[in-house]
Amino acid sequence: MTCRLFENQLSPYLDGELAATRSARLEAHLRVCTYCQAELTAMRQVASHIQAISGEVQPSRDFDRRVLRAVGYYQVTGRQARRRRALARPLAAVIVMLLGLLTLARHYLAPPPAQPLMPAPQSAAVVAPASPGLPLPADHDRR
Amino acid sequence: MEEALRPQIGLLRERAELRADADLVSACIAGDGDAFRELLSRYRKSALALAYQMLGNADDAEDISQDAFVKVFQALPCFRREAAFSTWLYRIVTNLCLARIRRNRAPVALDSVGELRSGEDPSRRVTEALLTRQVLSQMAPELRAILLLRDQLGLSYREISSTIMVPVGTVRSRLSKARAVFRGLWHEATVLEEAARA
Repeated sequence: MTCRLFENQLSPYLDGELAATRSARLEAHLRVCTYCQAELTAMRQVASHIQAISGEVQPSRDFDRRVLRAVGYYQVTGRQARRRRALARPLAAVIVMLLGLLTLARHYLAPPPAQPLMPAPQSAAVVAPASPGLPLPADHDRR
Repeated sequence: MEEALRPQIGLLRERAELRADADLVSACIAGDGDAFRELLSRYRKSALALAYQMLGNADDAEDISQDAFVKVFQALPCFRREAAFSTWLYRIVTNLCLARIRRNRAPVALDSVGELRSGEDPSRRVTEALLTRQVLSQMAPELRAILLLRDQLGLSYREISSTIMVPVGTVRSRLSKARAVFRGLWHEATVLEEAARA
């Protein structure tokens, strides 16, 4: 069969992987050779059968989650980390303001300290301990 | 004309993707988790489809493709960028599938070939899809891989060469052989299928 030379070129021709000069020669041959035409058509059908089943399977819903968990993505990375950083400053400011308000509120709104019923003693001498039932020995001697 | 232009179009597309993927890979290495997420979203479907047609089972395919992404992530700092990210990923998927097939040594279990029963009249599209998967499962894993890389994922000979680590000349001859084997098995399967229907 004189087509043997061209037969080996059909597959790369179909894939667009044949040099331009060889492609031109093959195309000229294809115009007159029904055998090679049929071969090329059959090869196209193979490609078409394979392409027809390429979308048969879809990734499961948790495909990404499983992979990302396995690689430790959920340990605060990427967007999540940026989001957290973006929230951190306003949150800190709010906490500081609340603490400030709380301190002020405690200062101004707290009840005044309770007034003592008896006036406070003036000096230490006045407050000297004097048990009523037991006179001091000095007083007793003076009498 | 269209076939003659395909290598140039493929090369341009490959370069554009290479740049974009390379940026994502760099971001990933720098610790940007979102970049990996983007790569995952870009390639999960094709990685899964390749694994599915290699193994014929959706659960195994999901395991293998997830495992491939985890391996990719762990090896990212060592990625030498001699090939495109996609080529590297498909290499890992293909190798994992071939290893799984070698380990099991059992014929590929097809998920839904059992749906094709004699007496039923499924549509031609469904029948052909089932036959295609049956034929693929009967092919040698290496031939199946090269056929899927070309006809399912549309990789160029150069990309296939870096994916399965063989010279471009070998890709060319192996692909021709794979197509011839597919056609032979397809012919047998359709004859048997027609006999069963008759």
